[in-house]
Amino acid sequence: MIRSLLPTMLQFLLHGLTVLLLPPLIPGLIAKTKALMAGRKGPPVFQLYYDLAKLARKQAVFSRTTTWVFLAGPVGGVAAGLAASSLVPFGHTPAPVSFEGDVILFAYLFGLARFLTILSALDTGSSFEGMGAAREATFSALAEPALFLGFAALAKATSSLSLGTMLAFPGTLTARFTGPLILVLAGWAIVYLTENSRIPVDDPNTHLELTMIHEVMVLDHSGRPLALVLYGASLKLLVLGALILTPALPRAPHAWQNWLAFYAALAGLALGVGLVESSMARFRMTKVPQFLVAGVLATGFAFLLMLV
Amino acid sequence: MLDVALVLASSGCWFAGALLSASSRPPERLATGLGLLGSLLALGAALHLLLGGATSGLVFQVWGLPARLELDALSAAFLLPLHLVGGLGLIYGQRYWPIQTPWGSGRSLRFFYGLLVAAMTLLFIARHGLVFLVAWELMAVSAFFLVGTEHERPEVRRASWVYLACTHTGTLLLTAMVILMAQRMGGLLWIALPTATSPLFEGGILLLALAGFGFKAGVLPLHFWLPSAHASAPSHVSAILSAVMLKTGIYGLLRVSSLLPGIPRGVGGALLALGALTAVYGVGNALAQRDYKRLLAYSSIENLGIILMGVGLGWTGRATHDPWLTALGFGGALFHLWNHSLFKSLLFYGAGAILHATGTRDMEALGGLARRMPRTALVLFPAVLAVTALPPFNAFLSEWFLYRGLFSSLARGYPWSAALGLVALALAGGLAAVAFARFFGTLFLGSPRSEAVEHAHDPAASMLLPMAVLAGLCLAVGLGSFLLLPLLDRAVAVVAPGTPALLAPGLRADLHLLAGVELGLLVLVGVGLAWLRRPESQIPDAAQADLPTWGCGYAAAAVRAQYTGSSFADAWAPIQPGLRRRLPHLRGLFPGGASFRQAFREPFGEVFLAPRVARLAERLLRFRRLQPGHLSVYLLYVLLTLLGVFLWMLLRARLLG
Repeated sequence: MIRSLLPTMLQFLLHGLTVLLLPPLIPGLIAKTKALMAGRKGPPVFQLYYDLAKLARKQAVFSRTTTWVFLAGPVGGVAAGLAASSLVPFGHTPAPVSFEGDVILFAYLFGLARFLTILSALDTGSSFEGMGAAREATFSALAEPALFLGFAALAKATSSLSLGTMLAFPGTLTARFTGPLILVLAGWAIVYLTENSRIPVDDPNTHLELTMIHEVMVLDHSGRPLALVLYGASLKLLVLGALILTPALPRAPHAWQNWLAFYAALAGLALGVGLVESSMARFRMTKVPQFLVAGVLATGFAFLLMLV
Repeated sequence: MLDVALVLASSGCWFAGALLSASSRPPERLATGLGLLGSLLALGAALHLLLGGATSGLVFQVWGLPARLELDALSAAFLLPLHLVGGLGLIYGQRYWPIQTPWGSGRSLRFFYGLLVAAMTLLFIARHGLVFLVAWELMAVSAFFLVGTEHERPEVRRASWVYLACTHTGTLLLTAMVILMAQRMGGLLWIALPTATSPLFEGGILLLALAGFGFKAGVLPLHFWLPSAHASAPSHVSAILSAVMLKTGIYGLLRVSSLLPGIPRGVGGALLALGALTAVYGVGNALAQRDYKRLLAYSSIENLGIILMGVGLGWTGRATHDPWLTALGFGGALFHLWNHSLFKSLLFYGAGAILHATGTRDMEALGGLARRMPRTALVLFPAVLAVTALPPFNAFLSEWFLYRGLFSSLARGYPWSAALGLVALALAGGLAAVAFARFFGTLFLGSPRSEAVEHAHDPAASMLLPMAVLAGLCLAVGLGSFLLLPLLDRAVAVVAPGTPALLAPGLRADLHLLAGVELGLLVLVGVGLAWLRRPESQIPDAAQADLPTWGCGYAAAAVRAQYTGSSFADAWAPIQPGLRRRLPHLRGLFPGGASFRQAFREPFGEVFLAPRVARLAERLLRFRRLQPGHLSVYLLYVLLTLLGVFLWMLLRARLLG
């Protein structure tokens, strides 16, 4: 009993530590890649850790318009991200919590985080932040079906509604499912870029508020609430990243190999996002819905292929 | 025997309370007390039955023929929300609509409110065609008077008349259904039909039930009476109309279908697709509303669509003898029905509190209410999260049931309707998030947009208390859903006779884990808030007490430059059929003044149906010539009719052979 329990406990411990400590590294890797591509030296990879430590010590400034809803966004975002992280397997290491139907809880937890962020942006009464909130609400309503259709395709293929089984799907991969899986992953890559407000959907480093989506919603956050917002965003990069990477990873015989493969793939993902960001510009705002609909179509087509 | 007697006594209590409030000097305390007593009696009986009590019935005579009242798990499942919302609404209404008002509207409101609850109580236990129809009509007519409480306003009169016309069309269809059922069952007493004998009869019964009950449940395209009726009624009446009266349509469908020997397989899939369309249509139109009560009414259409999806799934399961699908479908439908009655009545109570405090139903005139009505904002927040189906609140759980049902239908080879339902459910969730971010954001957050907000304040404790109870229940059901599984199992066993209790053993372990994750979420939120509260290491700056929103350094922002609700949902405007906008034409380098106008008309009822009905009415005017107003002509009509009847009597034998 102890013999079998101990490795599982260690796995869960590693899972928890990864979730708590690793996320701020991913934006650092992306920024480093972009800097190197542009021929700059760039900020250190650990920059976000320093930023978080600094913000945690700073006093927050609150506008006279805001209420407690203003804090619900940052806190709810991190809490929902952490809760969701307990449901997703990292590579082929099983998730700490897994049950039939956990995939729906997973998707709706991200919905909760987004909803609270939108409300806390509206709480400031600023027209900029209202604009960002409206864009976020619109674009995420388009990204949601892509995520769900992908889940539906995988659920149909594996006859399961648990993330652990659905994502560990290449273990039973046959030729019939390769095409749909590629389509699902392509659609989810679009969802990934959208949900994490990356180029070509959104530019986190733009200087003009009118062109922002996510960044403009958190303009008024400062101090610890801002630290939570930044940490929550990096958490999203990790958790949704695990969603995309797991089906694409080969299964290794040893647990440590699985972990190693996952970390390497995560670094690769950050590198990929950095490369995409360095090689293309942000879409015009009117083009973004078309890009998202492309994601819906890809996953929808994968789902249709599974049905027939 | 005891349980059904308790429920009957409850109906009597409500009726007595209604009669008392109609008297010229109403004893309000006594009337309210009687109503609350009635609610407690019915809630006790319903809970006792759902927790394992035996079905109890009562047989009596109607005109020498036997009639029956019966309390089974399905009745109990509908009595629970009725008496919870009914009782809370009674408490809420005391201050919301004081009894001493001009034209006696306070008294008539209380009378018809009591009558409505009494009639619906009777409706849920009736097992006799005539008793059912009488209770149905009592309910429909008292709802008509409730909707028309403010009948001095023309739009309220119009809404109530449209409602009356629709509900009576529905009753007409239901009367035909009851006659067909009487034909098949050999009497007005409702008994389960053991074997299918005549597909024509059973198909007819099912079709009439779908149309007749569909009018009440607001199924597309029979929904058009609903938004204006719910927006016009006093808020606690809107709450009970939305939370319970719409559901009588679902009750009727479930009850009648449980008596039929079988449901054809295609019907379940078709109902699922219809529910999916209704859900997306409802939430899509909710996005376009400026009137916040109308927004809530459209959201009711959405939720009724989701409940119908569950019913369709259950029927598919029943037709294909798949007990797991049956249990998930009907269980999800009933669970969502409970949840909807909790959060929607809470939302309507909140809307009433806002209307009471500001006097306007226009969202664009409000804003910043969270600072002026902090308690209302706090208790309404769970409802807003619940209606968007977000964890850890109750509606997430019932949608989770339906997702599981849809996926299992997908896996078992009825993919097309399930795929449609799946996409619709996800899309409706996303759109509901936009609509309710708009609702909460425009009403409660930001800065006030007009003077209406100036003197807003939290309502009295007797209005806040019912809201707090409902908010607590939303969270409690979200966390303790596994406790409700046996109750749902009992109700499902009535809807689909012969289905074993599958939900409790099948879902309990999953729901435990789910509740664990939700509890973890709440703990994390608590930890996060505690961390934000802890003083920072730096010395606080005393000068920053009252600062404006930073907004990129533009501190002198005008309130009118804030995003409005309409601009928030503007991206969806092009695909909304009910939204008519007049855009300004700007030409040249220095254009003059310009204006922008946008108005919403109900796409089916007002845009499509209203002009056609008006045209038909005009054509029918021709028949007015038959009514000249002279007594002699009417006597002639009587004579001609008599002659015609005599002629028929004479010739009948020869004509029919």
